[in-house]
Amino acid sequence: MNKILGVLLALSIASAAFAADTVRIGLMAPLTGPWASEGQEMKQIVELLADQLNAKGGTQFEIVAEDDAGDPRTASLAAQRLSTKNVVAVVGTYGSSITEASQSIYDESEIIQIATGSTAVRLTEKGLNFFFRTCPRDDEQGRVAAKTIMSNGWKKVAILHDNTSYAKGLAEEAEGLLKKEGVEVVFFDALTPGERDYAAIITKIKSAGPDGVFFTGYYPEAGLILRQKMDMGWNVPFLGGDATNNPDLVKIAGEKAAEGYMFLSPPVPQDLTTEAATSFINAYKAKYNSEPGSIWAVLAGDAFLVAAEGVNGAGSTDTTKVAEYLKAGMKDFPALTGSINFDNKGDRIGDLYKVYKVDGAGKFIMQ
Amino acid sequence: MEEFVQQLTNGLAVGSIYALIALGYTMVYGVLKLINFAHGDLFTLGAYLGLTLLTSFSLQDKMGPLAAVGLLAIMVMGLVALIGALLDRVAYKPLRDSPRLSAVVSALGASIFLQNTVMLIYGARFRVYPQDILPRTVIDFFGMPIPLMRILILLVSLAMMVALYTFIQKTRIGTAIRAAAIDQGAARLMGINVDRVILIVFMVGPALGGAAGLMVGLYYGQINFTMGWVYGLKAFTAAILGGIGNIPGAMLGGLLLGVMEALGAAYISIAWKDAIAFMVLILILIVRPKGILGERVAEKI
Amino acid sequence: MMTKKKGLAAIGVLIFATFPLWMKYVRPDDVRYWVDVINNVGLYAILALSLNVILGDAGMYNMGHAAFYAVGAYTGAILNTQLGVPILLALPVAGITAGIFSAIIARPVIHLRGDYLLIVTVGVGEILRIALINDVFGITGGPNGIFGIARPEFFGFKIKRPDHFFYLIWGFAALTLFLFNRLKQSRFGRALDYLREDAVAAEGSGINTDRYRLLAFLLGATWAGMTGSLFAAKMTIISPESFSFWESVVIFMIVILGGSGNMAGVILGTFIVIALPEVFRDFASARMLIFGLAMMVMMVFRTQGLLPPKPRKFNLPKLAEEGE
Repeated sequence: MNKILGVLLALSIASAAFAADTVRIGLMAPLTGPWASEGQEMKQIVELLADQLNAKGGTQFEIVAEDDAGDPRTASLAAQRLSTKNVVAVVGTYGSSITEASQSIYDESEIIQIATGSTAVRLTEKGLNFFFRTCPRDDEQGRVAAKTIMSNGWKKVAILHDNTSYAKGLAEEAEGLLKKEGVEVVFFDALTPGERDYAAIITKIKSAGPDGVFFTGYYPEAGLILRQKMDMGWNVPFLGGDATNNPDLVKIAGEKAAEGYMFLSPPVPQDLTTEAATSFINAYKAKYNSEPGSIWAVLAGDAFLVAAEGVNGAGSTDTTKVAEYLKAGMKDFPALTGSINFDNKGDRIGDLYKVYKVDGAGKFIMQ
Repeated sequence: MEEFVQQLTNGLAVGSIYALIALGYTMVYGVLKLINFAHGDLFTLGAYLGLTLLTSFSLQDKMGPLAAVGLLAIMVMGLVALIGALLDRVAYKPLRDSPRLSAVVSALGASIFLQNTVMLIYGARFRVYPQDILPRTVIDFFGMPIPLMRILILLVSLAMMVALYTFIQKTRIGTAIRAAAIDQGAARLMGINVDRVILIVFMVGPALGGAAGLMVGLYYGQINFTMGWVYGLKAFTAAILGGIGNIPGAMLGGLLLGVMEALGAAYISIAWKDAIAFMVLILILIVRPKGILGERVAEKI
Repeated sequence: MMTKKKGLAAIGVLIFATFPLWMKYVRPDDVRYWVDVINNVGLYAILALSLNVILGDAGMYNMGHAAFYAVGAYTGAILNTQLGVPILLALPVAGITAGIFSAIIARPVIHLRGDYLLIVTVGVGEILRIALINDVFGITGGPNGIFGIARPEFFGFKIKRPDHFFYLIWGFAALTLFLFNRLKQSRFGRALDYLREDAVAAEGSGINTDRYRLLAFLLGATWAGMTGSLFAAKMTIISPESFSFWESVVIFMIVILGGSGNMAGVILGTFIVIALPEVFRDFASARMLIFGLAMMVMMVFRTQGLLPPKPRKFNLPKLAEEGE
């Protein structure tokens, strides 16, 4: 009974949507709360891309944004709200546990969800048909991290995370791989995010005597640690995870302290020579008077583009068809962060991670 | 041993910031028995106002770093003091005669309001102070590298606390504040203008909080709109630890909390350091139910 | 007079109980969202009622109520995912576990006065949250939390849609209201009134104040624990961030804003604190600013809370009759 109702509902939504030739795409992002800066940038980018796409003609897209506040309970409310707003697909969200709180709601409503910063492995291991993500997975990043650490020749490594679901997962992934390769992990602990003073932690890591430190947390803490490490006159090399890819890292640390810092990340749009990427960045600068800061917000843009491509490619707003098209039909779709293909689980295929190094002027240089 | 001393200095620098903020909690509590949950956000406001004033007047280019920081401190403390007084007028004064906890909810509302005001004005992104204002000299202390700024933070905080303590103990206004803290009714009968005392308390406390915000901005560089919540909770804990309402207690509590966190991180576990600090707090309160120094030492003097 | 009031109340309850049914016609576009908002209100209402026993009735400043809520949620989730116990059967166990936890915590600190007790409960909440994040005993799942909690079943009926949960949650809320109301009329309730108003006099009249305070704490914590299990059942995933200090603050605000000690006030307070930010959703990033302002304004104009408790009334002739 419910299924029939659902199908009827979906059909009526589909026909209504196509009759008006406007397709609604939801955006679930942390517009308030601790990750508000990521969320607001996500919204800016997705709205700009929608405007650009609409200006070209063809299917028109309307963005419906909801705030998840970076909190699971608010996210499930936002999902309930979006799932009744006739959206074909939802872009978002940033944190893995926040995404997880909304997954089953979208799946039960047969709405496509394309996560943008949720890298936890288990999200795509549940066999959900309508779930995709434009970001890579933690296990892949762990492999690249271990490889980078070994090619740097570090024999003793300190691993520091921040006890978030994402950072701890990545830290454990890397720890396991490194131990297998005979690299000694001399320090493994978590800092408390949101503080200002990490001197106690730096002092403790220093006394463990590592050749290098792998930090899997986020850029605000990474910037502070780099700065305080320099203040204490300690010159150990640092490698960071992809959550430290944000230009604010250099601002917080200062150019001098950030110089030589390495991190893993999907390629930043500034490094893409495709016309799509450069013209988008110019348009963004013209409209918002700054460069896009967060790679995860750019990945939200990609998620929107993929959702639009799904609807256009399937020639329908029937989400089963769209999902099928995204998995099997879409090949090398040119998005902002490179070409996108999905596997059967909804994960993005391809070796996305690159190693970046900060140069003396604070620029991120791809290695 | 070397690591121990190093961690001790780490903890003292953090603790002196806690202590400065804790003074604001404890002064307001002493007179009004109110936990001013918006105090942490006044601290945030101090950090943001400092950034605005510093960059919009490009102070350090005009008068050199030392004078610039001094002028900045005076302006920030003055502005935050005004906002503190305004906050009292709007959010707390109408609640003077109502149940104590009503004012606490009003304070929480004010905290949410201030935090989101800062977010809407300055944006949600982390803001960063200019890097080149303060010297980043490292002092060699018996072979241990200790940043000069950490020592300065400690010294400046201690100087402000001593100044406050002298103000409370030696001046007429200070005596009035102490009298109002012991018994408002009796103080009124003695001809003390209690409303004025409250106003002064709501200016001095926030001014110190604002100064702490400015120091955090200048030294750590990175500020954001939610930072007052974390610092506020820590400072409130520190005030209770020392004995709330008691000014030397807030200083002791702040420094002790900072040192406890640093040593807990160093010798037990970094991930558990806040839990360790709270456990020590609970143990202390079981043994000394009114904090280490007890409430209002002033009474006994 | 009395019957008219009762009639109106019955109509009110009936209107509310059919909320998911008529809301379909009022807001066909987002009925499920609104029902879910009301479900959240229900969960917080039970939590706030349980805190009300501690804070409103016994007058103990507890700003760490999320800790007991968390113990219940995790107990329910662990029993369900590890041992396959249906979540509704795990509910009482979760409550008892939270109660025992609270008794262990409260025993040494119950004599602390006002704000010192407040910071101790804040500390307990934080210690517990940090323990959960650090995967204490290896069973809490660390920062990931616990996922895959099975939907509750009620005599073979699977509860999964928001409107199903509406009846489960508000049914439990109604039961809570009924039981707590009976309790308030009991010897226990009167003893709490007495010791809140004047602890010294209560002690002098032969009331074992520590025992009653402890009992109130235990009862409130047990109830919060059961609510935690309901929350786990509704979300199917729980993680430490759902039990932050902020959650405790929100529950605390609800009780004081509503009118601490008055159950109707607490329910009203829940609607305002939980549903109001949802109404402000259209203001996007300014919604919390407006919410904070609203809290201040409400407190300034209703300094005793929205619905402060009325003083206890005794029917003297009836009492005299009983005494004879």
